[in-house]
Amino acid sequence: MLEYVFILPLLSFAVAGLILAFGKWLPLKGASAGIAVALWGFSQALLLFVKAIQGGLTLPYEVSLPWFTFGANQAVLGVYIDGLTIAMLLVVTTVSLLVQTYSIGYMHGDPRFKRFYAYLSLFTASMLGLTITSSMMVFFMCWELVGVCSYLLIGFWFEKKSAAYAGKKAFITTKLGDLGFLVGLLSLFYATGTFQISKIIELARTGGLTVAAAGIAGILLFLGAAGKSAQFPLFIWLPDAMEGPSPVSALIHAATMVAAGVYMVARLYAVYALSPVALNTVAWTGAITAFMAASMAITCFDLKRVLAFSTISQLGYMMLALGVGGATAGLFHLTTHAYFKALLFLAAGSVIHAVHTNDMREMGGLRHKMPWTYATFLVGTLALSGIPPFSGFFSKDEILAAALARNPYLFLIGAVTAAMTAFYMARALVMTFHGKPKDAHKYDHAHESPLVMTGPLVFLAAVSVVGGWALSRNEIFEHLVNFEGVLPFELHHVAHVQVALFSSIVAALSLLLGLWLYKVKPELAGVLREKFSPVVDILESRYGLDVFFLKIVDLADWLSGFLFIFDFNFLDQIAIDGWAWLTLKLSRIQGWIDNHIVDAAVDAAGTVTMSAGRLTRLAQTGLIQNYLLFVAVAVSIFAALAFIG
Amino acid sequence: MTETLIFYMLSAVILLSALGVVLLPGVMHSALCLGLCLAGVAGIFASLGADFIFAAQILVYVGGIAVLILFVVLLAGSASDLVTRQINDSWLPSLFICAAFLWSFLKVTVYFSGIAASTLPVPAVKFIAAALLGDYAVPFELISLVLLASMTGAVLFGRRKAQ
Amino acid sequence: MTLSHYLALSGMLFTLGLFGVLTRRNVIGILMSIELMLNAANINFVAFNRFLYPGQYQGQATVVFIITLAAAEVVVGLALVMAIYKNIKSVYVENYNIMKG
Repeated sequence: MLEYVFILPLLSFAVAGLILAFGKWLPLKGASAGIAVALWGFSQALLLFVKAIQGGLTLPYEVSLPWFTFGANQAVLGVYIDGLTIAMLLVVTTVSLLVQTYSIGYMHGDPRFKRFYAYLSLFTASMLGLTITSSMMVFFMCWELVGVCSYLLIGFWFEKKSAAYAGKKAFITTKLGDLGFLVGLLSLFYATGTFQISKIIELARTGGLTVAAAGIAGILLFLGAAGKSAQFPLFIWLPDAMEGPSPVSALIHAATMVAAGVYMVARLYAVYALSPVALNTVAWTGAITAFMAASMAITCFDLKRVLAFSTISQLGYMMLALGVGGATAGLFHLTTHAYFKALLFLAAGSVIHAVHTNDMREMGGLRHKMPWTYATFLVGTLALSGIPPFSGFFSKDEILAAALARNPYLFLIGAVTAAMTAFYMARALVMTFHGKPKDAHKYDHAHESPLVMTGPLVFLAAVSVVGGWALSRNEIFEHLVNFEGVLPFELHHVAHVQVALFSSIVAALSLLLGLWLYKVKPELAGVLREKFSPVVDILESRYGLDVFFLKIVDLADWLSGFLFIFDFNFLDQIAIDGWAWLTLKLSRIQGWIDNHIVDAAVDAAGTVTMSAGRLTRLAQTGLIQNYLLFVAVAVSIFAALAFIG
Repeated sequence: MTETLIFYMLSAVILLSALGVVLLPGVMHSALCLGLCLAGVAGIFASLGADFIFAAQILVYVGGIAVLILFVVLLAGSASDLVTRQINDSWLPSLFICAAFLWSFLKVTVYFSGIAASTLPVPAVKFIAAALLGDYAVPFELISLVLLASMTGAVLFGRRKAQ
Repeated sequence: MTLSHYLALSGMLFTLGLFGVLTRRNVIGILMSIELMLNAANINFVAFNRFLYPGQYQGQATVVFIITLAAAEVVVGLALVMAIYKNIKSVYVENYNIMKG
């Protein structure tokens, strides 16, 4: 069973090539192949998951084969599977399967349908590889590969300028973080001498890693995670990434790739646990991100961007959980969030598919036209808001409990964010599905999506309803994904019930507030927007971070302009031209020497040779008797020498 | 006493006729002198008791080579030979070189002075035959090959070019 | 008579031959001078054999070889002379100067 896990990414990888090469002749233009493999992967992951929670597997399981040696070190290629891996595998394969099924409907008639499926398969392969690999080197490769897939899929409709721009932005911004990741990886290698994850964990556990090294490596690696998982201040790319197709947003920018950063921190949690500084960095970055993103979501009118901000916010939550020691809670939230956020995105995609716009101001009243979409979106909203008994409640509640146990301020930020989350989700729900249709034309053309799209929605909704309860029952998830022995500090067991009660009441209240404000008094919302326009402006401009980064670009531009002037006026004029002048003079001198001394010497050699030849030529008379005379002379000389000697 | 007389007479014949070979302007006269000189050498061989060599010398040199040269002189000679100078420009250095050679030969001769023959000569034909067909059998066969090759070569060179 | 007499005779004969080879313009004269030198060598062989190794005949046998070779040499040499004479119409060696450098 476990021995065959390595086939999963390889098969997906192969099928990506297959679709690209032969998709034309496959049923459904290659979608069938991708879905078949995804289905098989899902079945395997589910089987693994069930076996793991029944205790039928010995974890962690590792097979590492030597790949190549460099110096005294060896790079390995292999799989490392523990509970974390299995949970992540299930998430990736499930969402991948559902998204690919959904895309049959959503991408129907797209001219690059085949390529879309190839990219999805490639992404799935990379993500699975990232999940199961036993080597940080391969991890990094897959990490970059998912980045590439993300770039390709955000810019999938590259005819749109904004999509192409968004793809570039996402790629460059995440690369900024990946730079840190690479340096962090190398410093970790410097400190531990290995890329093998199990060995790194072992060293970190047994004290083979100093606190300082762990802190430096951890923070640098977290830079990469901040890029990939859209944490402050690198989250600016994720809202723009919504230019890509909605299924892509669901798969990559909600459920899996953006969770890779969280997954990475959890994978190397033993390293982070060594360094309180690193953990605090993670926690505070997560908290700030969660808060900022949630606040931005409140003022946004683009349905998918609201969800994008919400994703950022929830990823911040996960980071917060990891930072305060609630790693299991963070991973639990990752799992539940993957499902309900994929659900929300797919539902939003369904809406957009129907009305052909992202702007919520042009929607409204769609619940009559799209009952299934509405119902599933409602489930997603409730799950995200943390209303019991939906899945988000269980995970978020645990995070808040962990935060409270560690630091009351972090708890406070978390609670406020939770309230804002409920509020903006209520706003999005009302603006999209309730009230009067604002654009009659679009409303008239709206229709419920086909079964291939609603099917995955219903499935995800069902998981969102029961998933949290099912997984937290008997602490199933906690047994599967545990960090025993690497937790940095004892978790104080705070009163779970109180936190749960508190958080659900807060969420419910703000949800109701949102419903009331936007459903009953929509004009009040406009007034409030007017009143708080400075704040709204800040939020609309995303706290000026875009401008900030553009300013950095401008600064670089200015600097390069300055350098150009410096280059042109100083280096070119003085250094290069001066050098040329000097070279010219030197070559003149050298030329003179060449002409008058070297050439003369060469000529002299020639002349001497020729004169010598002319001279010795005289001896070559062609007369036999002269030659004989020379011979006789020589013989007589030898004879004379013999007699004298 | 007679022996000494014969030696000196033969030597005089040899050296004088050799001088003739070298110095006479007419090649015809030179060739005749050569015959005389070779005959003198044959006499020296006889005085040394080398009967077979004496016979061979007469047969091959006097009877063969000298006559052959005479033929060639008759073929290639010309009347102007008698009036044109027959000695080249480098005769003076040649003379010095020859003097040096002669001086060194005489120096060598001194080492062997006073060695007289201890035995009387015996007929040598039998022994030479034994040597040629015994120890020197292989050179003997090779020399016959050389003769064949030279004969073929002479025919080849002497032949008119087939047009 | 002693060995040195014969050696002196052969030395003088050889010197005369050498002088002829070096100075005669006529190529037939040169060939004849070479014969003189060969004969001087033959006299040496026989004389050494007679005075130093009486009762042995290797020296005389060698002379037989030399006579044979001389005959061959003269035959080839004269054939060459005739061939050259046919082309150049001259027996004077200074005209045989196609090897001049």
